[in-house]
Amino acid sequence: MSVTHDEVLKIARLAELEVSEDALPLLAEHMSRILDYVAQINAVPASEGVKPFVPGPDALRFRTDEVKPIPLAFGPETLAPAFKDGFFLVPKLGAFEGADS
Amino acid sequence: MSDPREALASAKATADRLVKAKRFNACLTPVRELRKALVTQAQAAHPSGVLYGMPVAVKDNICTLEFTTTCGSKILEAYRSPYEATAVAKLKAAGALIAGKTNCDEFAMGSSTEHSAYGRTLHPFDKTRVPGGSSGGSAALVAAGAVPAALGSETGGSVRQPASLCGVVGIKPTYGRVSRWGLVAFGSSLDQIGVLGRSVHDAARVLSVISGRDPKDATCEDRDPLRLPNVPESLQGFVIGIPKEYFPADLDPAVRLFKELGAAVREVALPHTAYAVPTYYILAPAEASSNLARYDGARYGTRFDGSADVRALYRTTRGEGFGPEVRRRILLGTYVLSSGYYDAYYRKAQQMRALIAQDFRNAFDRGVDLLFTPTTPSPAFKAGEKLDDPVAMYLSDIFTVTANLAGLPAISIPIGRIKGLPIGGQFIGQAFLDDEMLEAAYALERVVPATEEA
Repeated sequence: MSVTHDEVLKIARLAELEVSEDALPLLAEHMSRILDYVAQINAVPASEGVKPFVPGPDALRFRTDEVKPIPLAFGPETLAPAFKDGFFLVPKLGAFEGADS
Repeated sequence: MSDPREALASAKATADRLVKAKRFNACLTPVRELRKALVTQAQAAHPSGVLYGMPVAVKDNICTLEFTTTCGSKILEAYRSPYEATAVAKLKAAGALIAGKTNCDEFAMGSSTEHSAYGRTLHPFDKTRVPGGSSGGSAALVAAGAVPAALGSETGGSVRQPASLCGVVGIKPTYGRVSRWGLVAFGSSLDQIGVLGRSVHDAARVLSVISGRDPKDATCEDRDPLRLPNVPESLQGFVIGIPKEYFPADLDPAVRLFKELGAAVREVALPHTAYAVPTYYILAPAEASSNLARYDGARYGTRFDGSADVRALYRTTRGEGFGPEVRRRILLGTYVLSSGYYDAYYRKAQQMRALIAQDFRNAFDRGVDLLFTPTTPSPAFKAGEKLDDPVAMYLSDIFTVTANLAGLPAISIPIGRIKGLPIGGQFIGQAFLDDEMLEAAYALERVVPATEEA
C-alpha cells in the first residue's frame, strides 16, 4: 500500500509532530515500505477467537489508597522549560482540530 | 571485595578504563564528571553489599540521580531525573558503582546505535561497523573491558542483539522479573531492563540484584529476587529444543554441541516465527506513539520555542527534538491506531502476538526445557549499511523479538566468530524459569572460548 503525502501530514497532525516539506517524500516512501511489510500478517487466516496476549501479572496489585507523594530529588521548577508561581508556562491556547488545518 | 581502599581503587581504575574506551563513543557522561562521581560513590558505598565496588554502566534511558538521562535524544538534552530507577537504587544498595550512562539509539528505537543524537557508537573490534543496538553503548563498553557489566533495556532484542554483535553475554529476563520503574517507557508491554556482562556470572550477579518485587511497578511480579544457580558440569537432564525456523542453514552443529554436553535434543516447530517482526513493528510503534506523547516542551526537557500558540509549541518541539527514526515510529504508531486501520493492523497484531506466545507454550508442553537459536542472522554490519532501508534494519531483530512478544527470558552467549567478528547464540527459557536458563548458559559458556577484550 502507498501512503500519500497528505496522509502523512494528517497523521503528523494527530501526533502533534511537525514534518517539514523536505522530509515528506522520504517519510512517505519509508512508511509505505514498512506498512507493506507488516501487512503480511493479514495472510494468516482470521483468528477472531484468539484473545490478545499481554505478559505480566494476571491481576494488577493495587497500592494502598493513600495520598503519599513520591519524594523527588528536586521539584518541577528545576525541570520545566518555563515555570512560575507553581504553574508550567506555555504560549496561549491555539485553535483546535478543524480550525487550524 | 569488602575493603574501602579496594573500592576506591576500583573506582579510579574504572575511570581510567572509561577514558581509554572514549574512542568508541559508548559512554555519554563526560570523563571528569564520571571520575568524580565514581570516587564519591565508592566512598559512600556499603562494604557489605554483594556487588561492593563493582562498576556497572547504565543505558541512558534508565533514570539516575548522578547523571543526566537523555535517552540519546535532543529532546531530553541535559535532562536530569528527579528520581532514580528501582534497578539503579538496588545496584547502589548492593554497593555497585554507577559507571556513567551509555549511548543508545534514541529512546531505544534502533538496532545499530546509529540513531543517537550524540553520534554513533563504534564497534569495539572494527570501527567501520556498528555494535548493534539499541544498547550498543553498554555492549561496546563491556566488550572493551571498561566495565564487567552494564544495564541495557530490551523491547525487541536491544540487549541480546548488541551482545551477540560485540561478543558479550546479554540477558533479557522474563517480563515482570525486573521493575520498569525509572526505565523510560517505549513499548510498555514489551520493555524490560536487561544486563550485559563479560561472562554469564557477571551478568547473572547483576540480574539477581536488580530482580524482584517493586510496589512502584504494577507489572513487576511479586517474587523474590532471582537466586543464582550452581554452575553445572554438563547439560545432563536438560531437553533442548531446536526450532527449525531459526536455522536457515544446518541444524546439525547445534544438535551435536548439545548432545556432547549431555542434553537431549529435539527439533521443534514455532510456525508463526516469520510473522514476529511484522507483529512487533505494529505493536511497538503503537505503544511508542502513546508513550512519547508526553514530550511536548511544556513540563520538562528541551523546548524549541518561538511558537505563537501551545499546539505550535508541541509540534515544533516534537518535530525538532525527535530524530528521524523516532518520528517515523510515532507516525507509524499513530497510523496503525487511527480509525480505519486499527482492526487491520493493531488488533490483528495483538492476535498474532497470542499465536506466537502459543507456539512457545506448545514447544514447552512437549517436554522441552529450553530453546536454542542463533541470536542474530549475521555478525556486526557496516555503519550506514541499513540506514536507508528501515525494513532491513528491523530484520536484524528477527531471532530476538519473539521472546519479547511472548514475555519469555532469553540469554545470548558468544558462541564463535564469523570472518573474525563475534556472533552469539541464545537460550529462550520458560516464563520465570530464568534460573534454569542461566544454569544452561553456564554449561554452554564452559565449552565456548571467551572473547578477548577490544
